[in-house]
Amino acid sequence: MLNTFQQADHGVLPEATPEEAARQEFVKSLKHFIQQGILPGLGPVYRTRAAERFEKEAGRAPADRHDIRKAMVPDTYFQHYAAVNRISQELLWDSVIDSIDREGDALIERTAAATAANAGELRIAEGFEVPRYVSSLDIHCMPGGYVGRPGHDDLRLGALYDRGVFLYAMGYTGPDNDDMGRSVCHYIKARLKGFSPKRILDLGCTVGHSTLPYKELFPEAEVWGVDVGGPMVRFAHARAGAMGLDVNFAQMNAEKVDFPDGHFDLVVSHILLHETSGKAMPQIFRECHRLLAPGGYMIHADLPPFDPMDPFTQFILDNETYYNNEPFWGAMRELDQVKLARDAGFPAETIRFDTAPMAVMMFAQSEAAGYSAEASESVAERDFVAGEFAPGGGWEVLIAQKQD
Amino acid sequence: MTDEIAPMLRSAKGKRPSFYETPGLDQMMSMIMVLAGEVSVLADQVDLMQRVAAEKGLDLAGGMKTITLDQDALEAREARRQAMLDRLFYLMRKEAAEAEAQETSEGYSQVIADIAKG
Repeated sequence: MLNTFQQADHGVLPEATPEEAARQEFVKSLKHFIQQGILPGLGPVYRTRAAERFEKEAGRAPADRHDIRKAMVPDTYFQHYAAVNRISQELLWDSVIDSIDREGDALIERTAAATAANAGELRIAEGFEVPRYVSSLDIHCMPGGYVGRPGHDDLRLGALYDRGVFLYAMGYTGPDNDDMGRSVCHYIKARLKGFSPKRILDLGCTVGHSTLPYKELFPEAEVWGVDVGGPMVRFAHARAGAMGLDVNFAQMNAEKVDFPDGHFDLVVSHILLHETSGKAMPQIFRECHRLLAPGGYMIHADLPPFDPMDPFTQFILDNETYYNNEPFWGAMRELDQVKLARDAGFPAETIRFDTAPMAVMMFAQSEAAGYSAEASESVAERDFVAGEFAPGGGWEVLIAQKQD
Repeated sequence: MTDEIAPMLRSAKGKRPSFYETPGLDQMMSMIMVLAGEVSVLADQVDLMQRVAAEKGLDLAGGMKTITLDQDALEAREARRQAMLDRLFYLMRKEAAEAEAQETSEGYSQVIADIAKG
């Protein structure tokens, strides 16, 4: 498959010169090659020489993902894979920062005009305390992270995230990076028939990629996106304005959201939970329960648990923990999410894991630039392969309903 | 106002892992990848030039396919390719020359010691 997916311009995306664009495209191509051309070799390398070497040294076969890690880390093939993967991540951010730095405050001026076009609220908290699980490392190795640092915390970090994530996901999440939100919306319409939420909350929304489809598909609803990153929600507000949507954003912590009990009838999150912590995650589940009105739904689209996976798959996935500043990535997958939901007060019979089919085929149908039917189909119809971006076919969702 | 904006940060917080035991190899691989990227950028630029020229009615791509290289052109190209390979493999050239001259690390240390004395 030739991945030609292109991000849609929405007016506040960093503008790239042809040279900068070529550098960004190269990173996307490199990521694609790593997944298609290098990743598949890890299995044979492990099964043959790496496992044998481990067995010779340890006197037993590798038992779990930690053993497999020990076997693979000294292997040259794995070293090249992991090194180039990391380098691609670093080049990715660098290639976008070039554009942002060159544009200077032209980008800031564009975002100011766009934010004025969004009739939704923007709440920025005074003296906001950023949780340690976000501030201690720059997640995904994005320089500055979600919150920035003093003197480096303006909304350009949101612009960096917007373009960077498209390249990271190689466009699999659509021209507007919104496949996860869009897929969950379609899931709700198809599977929760008759449920039409009036107030929707998206937790850990960053720049609102997944938030906006909720406004698009439930136009009468009041939609809020909250995130601990000030630069993220400020950019999210501008981006929504640029895309012609009135959506509210606020700097808030998903563990303690500043809304009254029972205020929302749908609370969602997309790839949030794995960036929290062992203490925060159960608290977020409790907070969802508190925020929901009776009969309301909680839906988290995130990583499936390690539990049913073989140790080699676990090992591949866990590389993100070690090499991409994702400290909770591995530990999160070991938690019993169904139990967490039960402990938070959701009735056991309403809690389940399910698959929300990817919306990527719709991008091809709408003739989005670069979304050829062939390429979109091969993304939508692939089997799950550890180490590739996104599972084939659909997103794993955890769903629970508050007692009516 | 542009010069008042702080440049974006370029380093991510969090200790960077090493992937190779050989010191310097991580940096070396990153340089190779950056250079591969620049080669790719150049190829895209050539492609862009052809397309812009085509839009203006000048078929560069077609001309490039049909042009016959004369003797001067063939020689200039081959000389450039050989010179590039020579630069690429300069360390092997050096290694062969050292073998030929029987130069060793011990010999080099000996020269330092000898010169210090007189």
